[in-house]
Amino acid sequence: MKTRIESVEDVVRNFAAQDYICDQRTALAVYLAAQLHKPVLVEGPPGVGKTELAKAAAAFLEAPLIRMQCYEGLDESRALYEWKYGKQLLYTQLLRDKLSDLLGDAEGLEASIKRLGDLGDAFYSETFLEPRPLLKALRSDEPVVLLIDEIDKADQEFEAFLLELLSDFQISIPEMGTVKARHQPLVFLTSNDQRELSDALKRRCLHLYIPYPGADLERRILAQRVPELGEQLREQLVAFIQHLREQDMKKLPAISETLDWARALVLLHAETLEPELVEQTLALVLKNEQDVALARDILPHWFRKPRAS
Amino acid sequence: MAERRLHEFIQALRGAGVRISPVEAEEAFRAAALVGYAGRDRFRESLAMTLAKSQLERLEFDRCFEAFFQFESVDGDGENDATDGARPDGEGLEEEVAELVAQTPEGLEQTLARAAGEIDFTAMEVITQQGLYARRLLMSMGMGAVDDEILRLDGSPKSADQRRAAQLRDWRQQVRDLAVGYVRRQFELHGRAHGRALREHTMRAAPFRELREFQQVRLLVQRMARRLASLHQRRQKRAKRGALDARRTLKASLRYNAVPVEMHWRDRQRLRSKVLVICDVSSSVREAARFLLQFLYAMTDVLPKVRSFAFASRFDEVTGDFDRYEPDIAVGRILDRLSGSGTDYGTMFKEFANLCGGEIDRHTTVIVLGDARNNDLPAGEQHLAEISRRARQVFWLNPEPESRWNSGDAIMASYLPFCRSARRCANLNDLSRFTDYLLRNV
Repeated sequence: MKTRIESVEDVVRNFAAQDYICDQRTALAVYLAAQLHKPVLVEGPPGVGKTELAKAAAAFLEAPLIRMQCYEGLDESRALYEWKYGKQLLYTQLLRDKLSDLLGDAEGLEASIKRLGDLGDAFYSETFLEPRPLLKALRSDEPVVLLIDEIDKADQEFEAFLLELLSDFQISIPEMGTVKARHQPLVFLTSNDQRELSDALKRRCLHLYIPYPGADLERRILAQRVPELGEQLREQLVAFIQHLREQDMKKLPAISETLDWARALVLLHAETLEPELVEQTLALVLKNEQDVALARDILPHWFRKPRAS
Repeated sequence: MAERRLHEFIQALRGAGVRISPVEAEEAFRAAALVGYAGRDRFRESLAMTLAKSQLERLEFDRCFEAFFQFESVDGDGENDATDGARPDGEGLEEEVAELVAQTPEGLEQTLARAAGEIDFTAMEVITQQGLYARRLLMSMGMGAVDDEILRLDGSPKSADQRRAAQLRDWRQQVRDLAVGYVRRQFELHGRAHGRALREHTMRAAPFRELREFQQVRLLVQRMARRLASLHQRRQKRAKRGALDARRTLKASLRYNAVPVEMHWRDRQRLRSKVLVICDVSSSVREAARFLLQFLYAMTDVLPKVRSFAFASRFDEVTGDFDRYEPDIAVGRILDRLSGSGTDYGTMFKEFANLCGGEIDRHTTVIVLGDARNNDLPAGEQHLAEISRRARQVFWLNPEPESRWNSGDAIMASYLPFCRSARRCANLNDLSRFTDYLLRNV
């Protein structure tokens, strides 16, 4: 992993080289996070590239990305570590003879228990430990980028459990004591605002809100990601998408939808945006029946309106 | 100096309602040191990232940032030219005064800022302290000497001295204005902080009718509702565990050689509770209705099934308005549509029973908000009795004090026997207490 980021411009340049076009603010967040060793809480509507940001940061820092997807009911055993019960059981079965040999000459119950107690630690050791993403991130030999995706989907208890990790980069495991990070990972948390996150969590993170991209940024992203798209069409497309985002829709089109649409238009060899073409491909941009109907309504107006392009 | 300014800025942010912990403040310092103070945009963004942790806080942050760092961005020229033109000549004045008077407007502003540094503006509480602080500021600038000088010149018989005194007086007035302006800006930032807690306290206890005068009442309602909702969510979670889940426990026990080490529990079925709200929106009660509805709809997370009805001269369901519009807009629309006078509770209960009688079952809570002023029409309590018999419970909220529940044409007494509880609901505190009670009992 790169140990130093030179400047914010450094981040912007490198991200651009990886096809991740971002504004100054996003780059600044990555820069500050790396310099201050603070996790970043990334919020924003779905599809604006929150997860992509973590991936780009990992590539930029030349560090492996460890990703943990959150969901309702996620618990420590699936996020942090688990004992390999099956293996433990198998070993005790296989080692039964060995065990009875060991215990055979022990006199009385207490002596046996004492001897078993010494052995017990053997069964709760590295061999039987199954590390999950969080523990992997802490124990990794090189610094990593840890992505905790959609933290708002996890339960409140899990959020509380994360606090120790986020502030001190360590975690307490009852059987093993406290595990400290060998190298401090760069942590990204993403949230779609499904529920309010706790103040305690927010306090420990830098906060970055990624909104829908403005026209200029969206044009740049399109130019980078779908270079086959003609310039005139790109202008039209961005203007149309920006117009859609001003409407009162259930699910606004995000940047990922814009890209899908642009790719589809390239496949269809479209030169300019025509009403029929838009009608036919609208489903790529809008994922809700009502929204599509609404867009159909505004389509004629939009094409009639003279534009300054 | 920069550190101190930043510290004051954080104080100001706290005053505006953004919660900032010492750790966050420290992060802000580190971030600022890292990116430097030169690029305004970048400086602002790094502070925002470390201090403002939600979109709402970000709005406050931007407002504060503009207000706070405006002094730096405005150059000394422009509006201060007036001071320049009317600067009296320093001849024949005391040395100390002459020095002050001789300053350029920029210099004067700097003197002011330096003097301000010695005064703790964060202790300012109310706007009426403005005069006091402006005076302290002037004294700290050394303007006391100017006052003495004016007195001295006034006492002189020479006409040239008289003229000089008048000049000096004009100039003093300008400096005063400058100081007052500075103090007002400081008050905007700091004084509000103390005021805010006080104001919030007042808002909670103020009668609904007067609440409109407060600007931030919507935010407060939202915050109170959200706090209640998350409190309730936690409560619900704890109460959720139900009976033993034998199948899952057995399955898990296989790991441990069929010893049931890990117990699994069934989730208790969440009650499919429905809430039906009937609001009187006639002029006397409409403000209470506005807040009750805002409160209930801010809680869709924990109260998913709310149907609402409103009546004044007419009775109608208003659930649809809330599906389509933001709560405060919806309430406005409803009031436009249904408001009027001449409430008739008897007929309203009858229509209500007809409209959703079939839907009222033992999971249903009915809330009535109204003053029970029936304009001497028949009470129709038998309809409420029927509703109450079929529903799980009926609550009545009355914005008037209990002593007036049966005065004039009010007939609470006829309806009371059919309500599980009836309480006064005249301000946000009452409302929040009731909602808490409701959440525990749906």
